[in-house]
This record gives sequence, structure tokens and C-alpha cells, in this order.
Amino acid sequence: MRLALVDYLILALYFLFVLSIGWVVKRKVATSEDFLTSGRSVPVWITSLAFIAANLGAQEVIGMCASGAKYGIMTAHFYWIGAVPAMLFVGVFMMPFYYGSRARSVPEYLKLRFDEKTRALNAVTFAVMTVFSSGISMYALGLLFELVLHWSFTASVLLSAAIVLVYTFLGGLTSAIYNEVLQFFLIVLGFAPLAVFAVMKTGGWSGMGARLPQVMTHTWMYAGKAAENPMGVEVFGLVAGLGFVLSFGYWCTDFLVVQRAMAAESMSAARRTPLIAAFPKMLMPFVVIVPGIAALALSHMALGYSIPLKADGGPDYDQTLTTLMAQFYPSGMLGLGLTALMASFMSGMAGNVTAFNTVWTYDLYQGHIRKNAPDSHYLWVGRVTTIAGVALSVATAYLATHFNNIMDFLQLVFGFVNAPLFATFLLGMFWKRATGHGAFAGLLMGTAAAAATHGLTVAENKGGWLGATLHTFPSTMAQNFWIAIFAWSTCFLVTAVVSLASVPKAESELENLVYGLTRIPHEDVPWYKRPAPLALIVVAALILLNVMFW
Amino acid sequence: MSDLRVSIGGFFVLVGAIVGAAGLTADYRAPLEGANVNLYCGVSMLIFGLVMLWLAWRKSRS
Repeated sequence: MRLALVDYLILALYFLFVLSIGWVVKRKVATSEDFLTSGRSVPVWITSLAFIAANLGAQEVIGMCASGAKYGIMTAHFYWIGAVPAMLFVGVFMMPFYYGSRARSVPEYLKLRFDEKTRALNAVTFAVMTVFSSGISMYALGLLFELVLHWSFTASVLLSAAIVLVYTFLGGLTSAIYNEVLQFFLIVLGFAPLAVFAVMKTGGWSGMGARLPQVMTHTWMYAGKAAENPMGVEVFGLVAGLGFVLSFGYWCTDFLVVQRAMAAESMSAARRTPLIAAFPKMLMPFVVIVPGIAALALSHMALGYSIPLKADGGPDYDQTLTTLMAQFYPSGMLGLGLTALMASFMSGMAGNVTAFNTVWTYDLYQGHIRKNAPDSHYLWVGRVTTIAGVALSVATAYLATHFNNIMDFLQLVFGFVNAPLFATFLLGMFWKRATGHGAFAGLLMGTAAAAATHGLTVAENKGGWLGATLHTFPSTMAQNFWIAIFAWSTCFLVTAVVSLASVPKAESELENLVYGLTRIPHEDVPWYKRPAPLALIVVAALILLNVMFW
Repeated sequence: MSDLRVSIGGFFVLVGAIVGAAGLTADYRAPLEGANVNLYCGVSMLIFGLVMLWLAWRKSRS
């Protein structure tokens, strides 16, 4: 792929804007809360776009396109079952506790609701995960730009790290959030045309569908039996594993996304953030997944295009998006597409660094190292942590170059850790009787159950390291869904049992932290500014989409 | 925040103008798409940017 001057110009313009946004925001940062939590002042349209953009890293854009080519429109389940219901739940039912507790982070909520050891467990695992995620973002960026543009890995990693460092150091969370909104628009405006042109070339949606096996353009029709669809999943595993455990475990508890809602300017804005975000989220499959399906159809037409192959002869689906761009975008839009990819990698980094920052400064440093310093000290710590966070991410990116399978390994570990979390929060927020000992034990045993399930079952030659193989799954995806189900169930049971055997906090200490002891203020606003009606509209739209693409 | 609307609007006005200009003046074509992709997309982004700026202006007046 060759870039022309106009492409470099667009990229340079993006860097300039991103840095200037950081510089403008810096003037409003006076306290550690401004820097680390945006001082709870961000309007709802910004928080909702940042909410989905924080999660929409380049790996998702590239990965969803790859999945589109591999699995077809069933990939949309990751959005329509795997994200939207959880987003509705967190907005309507959980935000009152997150926002009302006045916790500055998710681990801090756990401390207020349970105890310090539960908070510490969550904070440490989260901090480690964010640093690794950030490093992986940079590693993927370096690899991509090396492969596609022949830029040096080191140059792209260090350049993007430097830019992210500058704008997060200056403006903190607010900078990261503003740039995430810019990134969102870049992705939509940069890739929607690709979807349009590619599908048109195959003869429109029906023309494309005619060139491919039926399963590629239907979401539910072939989901009944594992053998009938390329994902190898069946309905229960899909709905319970993906739809419930994994998606709720992520969207309802992961501080990276929840932080954006917690930065909102009011309780109503915080609750509406995930609900408003659900609208663009529902439509993202058409921007990121459909190009992949079109690419597969195009490779069946005698146009000289095919999905590149890996060294072992199998298709390299991860190159689908970039090769498709090279076919449909001339210099100009090509630069925009690459800038959109660059922007997503950088936002992925920035989002993780700012989340790491808040958790380190408030939950670990203030919680355990130095408890009663003046606020200016924590602001200083926040800034220093930004530098440390970026440095650790760069180090992780280099580590990844030495261990090829590190990405897969980390995904696995994240899965083990995330799966039980939702059970803990569900019980914590809705059952007064849940205790700190219960939560801590539940989290540990849930994670152990996840590891055990992986160790005792096999899928696509992965897993089964505990010696005996109790079951073989048709795909790693199916295995992941069932690991999640077992982990969640174990955590739920252990938390309940241990809680009943231990002493809960007094009700006066649980105000605003749990259902039944929290007052949700009723605001006198028009219906479209209230959470419940918005959620119902989202559900109706979701059902419509699922029916249309049955 | 009208700051952000202005920044985003300004960014896309500039990028839309640059890409649109490339569509009008330079003769870049993609292998599989004969249409003037740069022109269509450039104009769309320019319009989007102007809408954002208009929203920011409206907000600053209220």
C-alpha cells in the first residue's frame, strides 16, 4: 500500500487536533478529580459516544471485519446479544449505585459495599489487565503499520505512545474522552463508505447473500445446532454464555467503560449514557462486520481480489479490512481509513492508561500507600502515573514481540477474571445480605472454576492441561462461553453460601450502595430524557434488527 | 461542550475539504471502484463538519 502526500496530511492533521484538544482541556484541570474522573461534569452526548468508543479499539474494528469474513452476520450477535442488553441493564439498574455511591472507581464501589480486600483484588487484577491491554494495542498497531505501510515497528509504537502520553498527561480523563468521541466519528465516517461501496460491488445485500452460503447472512436461522454454523455454537451456549455472563461481566463491571458513564454531569445523564450509546452500538455491525462479509463475496467473483493467505495456507482474515481498503479507497480516503485505525489504537491505549491511572492513584496508592495527603499530591501522582502507565505499555508491546501467543494467553486470562465478576456485582447491588468474605471467596473460586473448566476440556487443540479431558467443544468460542457459565455460577453460589455464613454490614453503612437502601430521585423531565422509555425503545429496535436479519 | 463540537466540526470541515479537493483535482482512483470516492466522501464529511459547527453555534447562543 502506497501513501500519497494527502494521506500523510490527514494523519498529521489528526495528530495536531488530538494534541490541541489535550492542551485546551489542561486549563480546566485543577484538582485530582478533574484529572482522574473529569469532576463529574461531562454532557451526556459525549459520555455516551465515549462509552462505546472506549471499547471500540482497532482490534475490534479489524477483528469484527475478520469475523465477518469467517462467520458472516452471526458475528452481529457480539453486538446485539453480547453488548446491548448488558448496556441497558447497567444504565437502568446499576448506574444508580455506581453514581449514587459517589465512588470514584469501580473498585472503590466494592470497598464501600464490601471491604478492602475485595477492592484490592479487583483493583490489582484490573490494573494489570489495563496495562497489558494498552500494550497489546500498541503491539497490534506496530505490527499493522509495519505490514501494511512498512513503517518501523519501533517508530510507530513510540510515535503513538508519545502523542497519547502528551494529551493524557495534559488533560487526563477529559482529554481521553474527547479524543474518543473524535475517534468514533472517524471510524464511522472512515469505514461506512467502505461497507457501502463493497456491498454495492457484490450486487447489494441480496446479491452478496446469493454468492455466499445462506448461513453467512442469517443471524439466528442456523444457530440451533453447532454443526450448522461456522461458529460452532448452539443457542443456549450463545445466549447464556455470551449474552449473559460474558457481556454483562464486561459492560457492567469493567471500569474502562463504566468510568465514562461515571464522568457524566448528573445521575440522569449517567443512567442514560449506556442507553443512548446503545443506538450507535446496534448499528456498528453495518460499519465493521458487513465489509468482511462483502470481502468474502468479492473473493468469489472473478475480480482479482481474494483474502490474503497465512504462511500455513489458511486465510489471514485479520488482513481483510486493510486489503479491502486498498481496493476501494483511493489516496485521500485511504489516508482517512488509516487515520481512523491509528485513532482507534491510540484511543485504546489512552482509555486503558486513564483507567489505570484512576485505579492506581485512588484505589491502590491512596488506599494502601499514602492515605491522607492533600489533593495536589494526588494530582501529581496521577500525572506521574500517566508516564509510568505509558512506559509500562510500551514495555508490554515489546514483550509481545518475543512471545507470539501472548495475546491469546492474555485474552484467556482476562476471560477467567471477568467471568465471575458480574455475579459479585449482581449480588452486591441487589442482595443486602451479601458480605465482603462472600464476595472475596466467590471471586477467587469463580476464577478457579474458569481455569479448571479450561483445563479439563478441549477445543481446537486448546485447553485440557489438567490431564483429563472431560469434554470436547466444537470451537474455542463455544468453550469460552461455557467457561463463562461455570465461572459465573460458581461465583454466585460461593458468594451466597459464604455470605450467609458471615456477618453483613449494618444497613446504615449500605445506603446508596444496594437495592432497597437507595433513593433514585425522580426528575421532572420529558419522557425522552428518562431511562425506562429510552430502554424500551432500544429493546424494540433490537428486536426489529434481529427479525430483519433472522 | 461547544469546545468539542467546534473541534470536531472544524476537523471534519478541514478533512472533508482536503479529501474533496483531492477528488476534484487529483486523479486518484481505487482498483475496484471507478467512482470518484474522494469527492463523495469529502463532501459528506464537509457537510457533517458544518452541521457540527452549526450545532456548536446554536448552543453558544442559548
